[in-house]
Amino acid sequence: MKTRPHYPFVAIVGQEDMKTGLILAIINPTLSGVLIRGEKGTAKSTAVRGLAEILPSIEVVRDCPFQLAPHEPGSPCDGCARKACIGGNESKKSPETVFRKVAVVELPVGATEDRVVGTLDLEKALKEGEKHFEPGLLACAHRGILYVDEVNLLDDHVVDILLDSAAMGVNTVEREGVSFTHPARFVLVGTMNPEEGELRPQLLDRFGLCVTVNGSRDPHERVEVMERRIAFDENPSQFLEKWADPSLRLAEEIRRAIALYMSVSVPRERLFDIAARCLEAGVDGHRGDIIMLKAAKTLAAFRGRMEVSCEDVEEAARFVLPHRLRRQPLQDVIQDMRGFKEGK
Amino acid sequence: MTAPSGTVHPPRGGHVFPFSAIVGQDRMKLALVLNAIDPGIGGVLIRGEKGTAKSTAVRGLARVLPEIPTHVDCPFVCDPERPEEWCPQCRKGFTSPAVCHRPLHVVTLPLNATEDRVIGGLDFSGSLRRGKPVFQPGLLARAHRGILFIDEVNLLDDHLVDVILDAAASGENVVQREGTAFRHKTRFALVGTMNPEEGALRPQLLDRFGLCVEVLSETDPSCRVELMERRESFERDPTEFLRRFSGEEAQLAARIAGARRLLPHVRTGQHIRSFIGELATSHHVAGHRSDLVMERASRAHAAWEGRDRTEMDDVLAVAEMALTHRRRDAVPRPAHSPASSREAQESSFPENRAASEEPPDHREVSQERSSPSEALQGPEPHPDETFQQQAQEQVFGTGEAFPVKRIAPPLDRLVRRGSGRRTRTRTHHKHGRYIRFRSARTCRDPALDAMLRAAAPFQIRRRGESPMAVVIHPEDWREKVREKRIGSLILFLVDASGSMGVRGRMSASKGAVMSLLLDAYQKRDRVAMVTFRRREASVLLPPTPSIEIAGRLLDEMPVGGRTPLSSGLAAGYELLRQQMRKDPHLRPLAVLVTDGKCNVAMGEGNPMDETLKVAGSIGRDRRVRWIVVDTEEPGIVQFQLARTLASALGGLYFRIDSLRAADLVNIVKGHSP
Repeated sequence: MKTRPHYPFVAIVGQEDMKTGLILAIINPTLSGVLIRGEKGTAKSTAVRGLAEILPSIEVVRDCPFQLAPHEPGSPCDGCARKACIGGNESKKSPETVFRKVAVVELPVGATEDRVVGTLDLEKALKEGEKHFEPGLLACAHRGILYVDEVNLLDDHVVDILLDSAAMGVNTVEREGVSFTHPARFVLVGTMNPEEGELRPQLLDRFGLCVTVNGSRDPHERVEVMERRIAFDENPSQFLEKWADPSLRLAEEIRRAIALYMSVSVPRERLFDIAARCLEAGVDGHRGDIIMLKAAKTLAAFRGRMEVSCEDVEEAARFVLPHRLRRQPLQDVIQDMRGFKEGK
Repeated sequence: MTAPSGTVHPPRGGHVFPFSAIVGQDRMKLALVLNAIDPGIGGVLIRGEKGTAKSTAVRGLARVLPEIPTHVDCPFVCDPERPEEWCPQCRKGFTSPAVCHRPLHVVTLPLNATEDRVIGGLDFSGSLRRGKPVFQPGLLARAHRGILFIDEVNLLDDHLVDVILDAAASGENVVQREGTAFRHKTRFALVGTMNPEEGALRPQLLDRFGLCVEVLSETDPSCRVELMERRESFERDPTEFLRRFSGEEAQLAARIAGARRLLPHVRTGQHIRSFIGELATSHHVAGHRSDLVMERASRAHAAWEGRDRTEMDDVLAVAEMALTHRRRDAVPRPAHSPASSREAQESSFPENRAASEEPPDHREVSQERSSPSEALQGPEPHPDETFQQQAQEQVFGTGEAFPVKRIAPPLDRLVRRGSGRRTRTRTHHKHGRYIRFRSARTCRDPALDAMLRAAAPFQIRRRGESPMAVVIHPEDWREKVREKRIGSLILFLVDASGSMGVRGRMSASKGAVMSLLLDAYQKRDRVAMVTFRRREASVLLPPTPSIEIAGRLLDEMPVGGRTPLSSGLAAGYELLRQQMRKDPHLRPLAVLVTDGKCNVAMGEGNPMDETLKVAGSIGRDRRVRWIVVDTEEPGIVQFQLARTLASALGGLYFRIDSLRAADLVNIVKGHSP
């Protein structure tokens, strides 16, 4: 299946924070997602799609509705309607697998709960009289990216469910006569325009990272944006070729960072730095500390360093703290940490 | 779809952060452990800010729970020692069914659960095969003798909450639906977590939880570092981490199991019982549940400490957990002003102080202590204190502070009595979440799962009527009952004329509006704002769910000029009428903040006469409920214009000073229908 090529991630002009945030979330999915706040037309979805394009392919069981890797632990094959593959069952021969690109699953604003978590498979029920689970979007997004545009306009309970699965890595369904559990580990990317209403603090906190994007104010940059976009639209393949090298380099950097992440060490003083920053900012709970530590480690891995440095912590704070500063429901999300400090 | 183990935490194959590796949070851990020793305590409600290991602790608890004897393959977790409670399946054989041991369950109720999965219902495939109704046990059956865990219990659907409460109260789940009649025992400890910022819990449900603990984040940097290090090494290599803590986990599990064995032998002396009774009466708790809970919890605590006799210390260790959410006056308060309820706690716990002989500043130190009896008197400075102060500075920087949280609940009660915080939507809208079904003549929003279940038992008879495997007749039709949190619309009609600017009246009004906005946030209401000054009224904010924008606009609202009250009323009403035309079921609320001194008319006549005329005709529309907040200065000469206005509108009338007074509760009770 040949689809329209995606605008390359590396060719996006500016928006460094957003790009870094996305890359961090990709390298380390346990950062539990990125929230991108900003106006329309700031290359948010272009960036997500472009990034997925250059990621290393994953191995999945052929036609598996749950996107499972072969022999993945905790697989839901017992209740799966597809009997053809026997993925995860060691006693039988290995299931057939294919390699494919990381999927970007988009959650539309009008999505209903049953489509998100999955529900009773009606066709099977009516035709064969058997009760089976029909996977929803969370199953499709397993091992991929779940992209939620306008997350603040989504029904509250759908967001609750999303974040619950994102945090737990599993989706538990108890509805319409079906009881089912399947793995759902995905990188959650949400976008929102703050002018249309805020997310509840409880939900904000569940997003690991948060970046704010703005349209560029530099005329030269804006011209650059237009020029590149026109070049891409006129001749996509030529444009892709032109950017093939940087794309490859970034893909390689990401691959290296993923491999390196596990061996990055954190000196104890840096841990105290992190704790001090979180205490100073007065964040609720401990999620901020943990995410900040992970983000700093991921940054170090991405920069090819084996040890977390002061700068890593400094930079991680920019992604982790802004949306966590203790705030009442009505308070504004602080956009810039520097401004926050001066205000103090 | 058979394996019920699917919903039992931890999920298969996943690694769970060990219970004993959680840093700090001793009171929460103690409360959970006590419930593991004796589920009869009635569970625990864990209240606290986000990210404080609430859910992690409950999930971890599942790993250290003892094994209980039950029958092989019994979906109802029957107790072999109580034959009178056995399910039909266990009773069927002539010989007793085979007994096995399995760990006590922690059953999670996911937020997406529908009613049929909670209480159980007809098993569709089984009924098809056998041609008669076959009951499929729900989560309540699985939770029998174990723990039912509800994360974010305050967000759970009201109807489901009722069902669960009912079962918890009677210890039995009675199912009368879909042609099946079934009853089975279900005794479980209810464990819930909630973040009070997101809304309160109904008092009945609050009382249902045996214990209640508040959790806070650690303020000591080295604790936080320790926590990060543990989490970090857990994620780096979960298997290794689990191995590192396997000793402690085993020790904990053994201690719990030992305490469970000891529990039946623990005796409570008469003087302890009377002490418990005194504690309960001196704290003005409602009902007797607190006494019973305290007695059971102290016995469990004694068993946990390895004693066969309860002592004063045991009671003191559990007293606060059992009393904090039951104090009669505190019922509406905890969610809104934990700070002040905590003060109340401290002052009303002289026993603890005396017993511990700690200096009053013990709060700082108490965190490092692990002894549960000392953990009792260590409520750390509550976040909401700073929280509230911050809010006051933030929002009302120009004016005087206003006790937001204190005022919200009574106003809330007044405002919502008619509307409720959620409204059931009509089925043809097909919005909202599907929570249950009902039989239907037409099928606009079919509940197919229920339809299939209804048709299943008759399939053997209907075989051959159609090529499909399942034949559905009109009498099987079911439709979905959906619920959606649709908050109502609140219109703020704010007088911004010059007369409002004097002596900080405007900032007081802003405070009043802001407190209502906060309340609206919790109820997910939409808000709109209309102001009037100089010659005309203007719509400052069209209806929006974004409370933030409303707050900001309120902050920046300019004041000055004359008072065109009549045109303000007209503009506000016009806006509401448009909204009601869009949604005929909307019952909006309008809050008019003014001193009533109008001096600009729309027409030629006297401004005041015109205003009253407009108000009278608006007041005839009973769909809109009005609240008039009078900002007139108290003095010798009072015009009471706003009061006249309120009666013309047929709305409620409040003076802004009375809004500010602490005893608003009583005033509102007097006024409300």
